[in-house]
Amino acid sequence: MSKKAKSATKTETIDGLKTAAEGAQLPSVSRIEEHSLLPLTPDANKQTPAVGQRTTRYDARPHLTGQTMYIDDMTFPNMLHMKILRSQHAHAKILSIDVSEAEKMPGVVATLTGREIPVNSYGPSYQDQPVIADDRVRHHGDPVAAVAAETEQLAKDALEKIKVEYEPIPAVFDPLEAMEEGSPKLHGETNVYASKVIKKGDAEQAFKDADLVLEKRFSTQMVEHVPMEPHASIAMWEADGNLKVYSSLGRITLGRADMARTLNMPMSRIRIIATIVGGNFGGKNEITSEPILALLSRKAGRPVKGVYTREDEFMSSTTRHPFIMDYKTGVTKDGRILGRTVRIVCDGGAYCSWSETTLGKGAILSVGPYNIDNIHVEAHAVYTNKTMTGAMRGFGAPQVCFAYESHMDDIAHELGLDPLEFRMMNAFGEESPSPTGQVLESVVVRESLETASERFGWKEWQK
Amino acid sequence: MMIDVKMTVNGQERTASVAPETTLLTFLRDSLVLTGSKLGCDVGDCGACTVIVNGNAVNSCLMLAVQADGKDITTIEGLSDFEHLHPLQAVFEQMSSFQCGFCAPGMIISAKHLLDKNPHPSKGEVQEALSGNLCRCTGYTKIVDAILELTSEEASAA
Amino acid sequence: MRPFEFVAPETAEKAVAILAENSPNAKPLAGGTDMVVDLKHTNAVPKVVVDLNKIEEFRGIEMTDRGLRIGSLVTHTEIMEHPLVAEHAPAMIDAARTIGAVQTRNLGTLGGNLVTCVPSLDSGPVLVALDAEVTVVGNDGRRQMPLTEFFVGPRKTALNPDELLADIIVPTAMLGRATHFLKFGLRKGQALALVNGASSLRLDGGKVADARIALGAVAPVVIRAGKAEDLVNGTDADEAVLAEAGDLAAGECKPIDDFRASADYRRDLVRVLTKRTLETAYAIAKDKG
Repeated sequence: MSKKAKSATKTETIDGLKTAAEGAQLPSVSRIEEHSLLPLTPDANKQTPAVGQRTTRYDARPHLTGQTMYIDDMTFPNMLHMKILRSQHAHAKILSIDVSEAEKMPGVVATLTGREIPVNSYGPSYQDQPVIADDRVRHHGDPVAAVAAETEQLAKDALEKIKVEYEPIPAVFDPLEAMEEGSPKLHGETNVYASKVIKKGDAEQAFKDADLVLEKRFSTQMVEHVPMEPHASIAMWEADGNLKVYSSLGRITLGRADMARTLNMPMSRIRIIATIVGGNFGGKNEITSEPILALLSRKAGRPVKGVYTREDEFMSSTTRHPFIMDYKTGVTKDGRILGRTVRIVCDGGAYCSWSETTLGKGAILSVGPYNIDNIHVEAHAVYTNKTMTGAMRGFGAPQVCFAYESHMDDIAHELGLDPLEFRMMNAFGEESPSPTGQVLESVVVRESLETASERFGWKEWQK
Repeated sequence: MMIDVKMTVNGQERTASVAPETTLLTFLRDSLVLTGSKLGCDVGDCGACTVIVNGNAVNSCLMLAVQADGKDITTIEGLSDFEHLHPLQAVFEQMSSFQCGFCAPGMIISAKHLLDKNPHPSKGEVQEALSGNLCRCTGYTKIVDAILELTSEEASAA
Repeated sequence: MRPFEFVAPETAEKAVAILAENSPNAKPLAGGTDMVVDLKHTNAVPKVVVDLNKIEEFRGIEMTDRGLRIGSLVTHTEIMEHPLVAEHAPAMIDAARTIGAVQTRNLGTLGGNLVTCVPSLDSGPVLVALDAEVTVVGNDGRRQMPLTEFFVGPRKTALNPDELLADIIVPTAMLGRATHFLKFGLRKGQALALVNGASSLRLDGGKVADARIALGAVAPVVIRAGKAEDLVNGTDADEAVLAEAGDLAAGECKPIDDFRASADYRRDLVRVLTKRTLETAYAIAKDKG
């Protein structure tokens, strides 16, 4: 394609962009320089079909020129900065917190402790997590107090002046140990806070009928989302008494509900403005420090910004659940799967967060996309004195997928079957029932396996 | 303690009085309100704060503003004026080589630094040049592809 | 960062005088890739930060009577791009290339890397394998010492608080010597070495002579594997000799278990790295004829 032709295409697309930009109030683009570029993206609206065609993103220009405003790029007149003091103990009673020295420091405007929070608990499934720990810390990194000061550094300095008296209590870090009767308990009488069971047919009988029964334990590790942009929010109170929060939160409606609960005020008086998010991956699905900012802002009468440090991010934002998964599968000599049992122990960390949702999805998917008549899945989410686990892309699916696919390879190996053939033999087809009885439509497991194996040369590789 | 500094930022001379404990990144973001350079890790690992100082891409979070006295600095804001996109910005746009966008300014600055030094890099050279810039969304493929598309286009247009 | 005073003297003498005057509350600042991180994360910032970047004599790479002189403020990028280094000590370039990433190599200096004296410092092994010496400037004048004496322990050098590292010299006799460096990290960019190592040697009548095997991240400081060196000297560095040298070197190091790798794994890496660096150094020497 000649340079001229390319430029012509370019102009057309830019015009398209401009039209789109008008509605979105993006900076208008009159023209761009003629530089030689690859063939320009066709206008998505003119494509038939649009699928498979490349289109430019409407937010490209502000992102790529550094004009996008993430939370930390915003500033408001007279704005203060917030820092959080975090527990250095994995499990301890809080005997006392003294913020008086911190409050005396020049530049410190307000402090906040857990007892000042109207309703000090929140969470998407169970409200088991305090906004700021008041009587007990349950993991290293639990917030115990917060400071709003003129600068970030002053707020950080003030944290050192806060005196917290702890009485350490025994902690538990291993989810299997946490399930035992005598283990230290985090909330109430048991550490098992959610369980799911899926039963279909008779798995025990299937194992008796099977030619081969294979058992194996799989485990996965904790994973932090590490969004490039740390969690960040700015809270301020408007003249009409309403709360306004700019936040990197992904689920603002849920966030408003949690804010309404913790602040004990109607949701209609809370406005959360969702900004461009610098990476979420599930880690920004619930509130973190928003109520703290709101209360500090009310005390100070000034806007308060809070940006997590990378350390805050690792210590005290949600993570992906480590799973311990025990698989047992019975097969016939020719490769038909007769029955499968799965036992999942999901390490939930100190608070529930999205564990219940994750557990359910993990349990349903744990059998794999295979037709198995006899199934018994048992899954438990367990508290441990670690950073809480929550939503992360896949909601439990990646963990179980790793386990059942590794397990499938092991079985194929034992039977002397080609792993691909073994999967094709058992894979879901059109109208296969899922483990919970849902009849599945548009099932392309076999087709995907076939295409993928062709593309990466499975047959050649086998030779 | 305050120290007077004078530097050229995106072609403009800027003077200021800064506290020594101010990083170049904080100075650019807070004093000059050039917020395109981002704070991602604050320890020089993520590259979101990358700027060019006297021709060298550096982590502006690891440099003190006073150390930039007398130097020439280019930030992401210096590459375009909304009438003229930098070719790298244009190719990132066309290839959608970004998702959340937070790493993009640093990525583009690192890529510019590479192309300034080496106009026709190999894939390996592009990857090495970007190894100080982390991205959690894209998996890097489209970023590397965009830079290679641009350089191969320029080669064939020349 | 908490407030501190900042001075940027233009001579080494002024800098060491300021350091002495404010000792122990003054700290020198070179590239800042470690120092600025420390300043951010410590509550005990020094009273005075002494920026060395205006001291011209700490810059530059040049050939002197004693050998190749590299100023302590020379950045890793400058080493990678300098023709004298490419000609006389190319393994230094291989080592520099593995440090941090582009942005940190553009800021970080050779002197700074050596002064941090972390066991895994990537510029260490090649310089030790080339018998490098360092010049230290203090209030009582200057002193020279072998790099191996400069390294005292983890994060501890022979520098007094009022002394500075002025330059690094690769002695004339070691220039152009067949040298090979390898690093094993968990990823290519921005990774600390689990093990790094360099071997240098010359040929005497076709046989290995004066071999040096320097290993990093497997002891408190960079070490020489003396027994392995003795073994390869006078041989053709064949497969069996190299394998035994690897075993000997693995026995000579004292790696630790930490979250990056177990001691056993590191020992195994030493075995492989020793063998490979020797093998390549020998091939380079043969090539040179």
